[in-house]
Amino acid sequence: MALGFVIIIAVIVVLFIIGFFGYFISIYNALVRLKNDIKKAWANIDVLLKQRTDELPKLIASVKGYMKHEKDTLEALTKARTDFMNAKTFKDKAAADNVISGALKTIFAVAENYPNLKANENFMQLQGRISGLENELADRREFYNDSVNTYNIRIHSFPDMIMAGMLKYKDEEMFKVAEADKQDVKVEF
Amino acid sequence: MAEGEFIFWCIIGVGFGITLFIKGFQSLRLKRFIETTPTSKVRSLAMGRVEICGEVVPAEKQILKSPLTGKDCVYYYYKVEELRRSNKRSYWAVIDTMKADVKFFLKDDTGAVLVEPNGASISIPADFNSQYSSFNAMPENIRTFLQSGNVKYKTLFGTTKTLRFTEFVIAPGDKLYILGYAGNNPFVEDGTAKDNVDGIMIQKGNLGKCYYIADKPEKDVLKKLKWGWIGGLFGGGALIVGGLAGIFIYFGVF
Repeated sequence: MALGFVIIIAVIVVLFIIGFFGYFISIYNALVRLKNDIKKAWANIDVLLKQRTDELPKLIASVKGYMKHEKDTLEALTKARTDFMNAKTFKDKAAADNVISGALKTIFAVAENYPNLKANENFMQLQGRISGLENELADRREFYNDSVNTYNIRIHSFPDMIMAGMLKYKDEEMFKVAEADKQDVKVEF
Repeated sequence: MAEGEFIFWCIIGVGFGITLFIKGFQSLRLKRFIETTPTSKVRSLAMGRVEICGEVVPAEKQILKSPLTGKDCVYYYYKVEELRRSNKRSYWAVIDTMKADVKFFLKDDTGAVLVEPNGASISIPADFNSQYSSFNAMPENIRTFLQSGNVKYKTLFGTTKTLRFTEFVIAPGDKLYILGYAGNNPFVEDGTAKDNVDGIMIQKGNLGKCYYIADKPEKDVLKKLKWGWIGGLFGGGALIVGGLAGIFIYFGVF
């Protein structure tokens, strides 16, 4: 066989190998990136949860003088804060976060019944700050779920599933909103 | 085709093929980055690699005038090419080119974030693309632009050269897709930011060639990159093989 022909075949094989491995390396890198992005997305939620948790004692202190009839809600909030601070796993933190979000929603809704509280500048500032954090949290939960969804789809899609299988990657859990939080808050005037 | 010309094109083919092959991998890498990065809302941007979509809003007193069309913009790139002929072949030679940008805000329905476009790979269609010659007189503003830049557009005989003008512009109100790095905003002192996003500026960061700005939705960007990597790897590979085959035939190695 002519030398030129052999070289051409060798070049085709080398290009094929480079292309093949390059493609699979890109899959590997994408999966590793996705996996780490999920951790980062959760860490970014955690930062905001911590900020919100730090604001809670101030909020409780500013409302407890007014909301004498909402003792149960305030106690639930205090307990959820403690649970959140003691939580170690993603599931526990998410569960405590759901309780806090629900309790905050109730407090801000029933605050409408207390004109003196609504006139309190300190409360209004805290409400603005916590509502801002809640909005950011909602965006980041959505972002987290997007990251998880992309990851879960990829590890089940061909050809990524081959690499995911080799890496023993499993489905990740989405951030779920508690059923109670999907209900409207009842406000009695 | 002369023999010297044949080997010249074979070598060019191999060189171009290698470049295309590498570009194919770059497109694949960028495509993977885009696919694996969910879109963030501006309000809740976190530091690091981010993907955002929104509308361009100029920062205060930060506006440029595009040289060819005179549009208000935050980024422009233009090139002036001249049609030249040599050895019975004609080609376009770039005789003048310039790029300029200023920082701007990208606004979505939750807020606005500062963007430093410098260093980004910008993928936008040409806003202006025209060709002028002795048979197709150029407008006054183009002539003024050439004169102000001392670009020679007349031949020795006083006729107008055949020139092609292309301009790319990002204007206020344009809808953009950005894959970038959310880093510290150097214009806001630590601890003085009004909110989360105030302390952030979208920049190149550690993204290198993956800092990407386009005026298309993500779906269209991915479609373009898909053809970019497939074309790059297969087209580049074919050119390398074809070019090498030509070289071997020329030297009688086959």
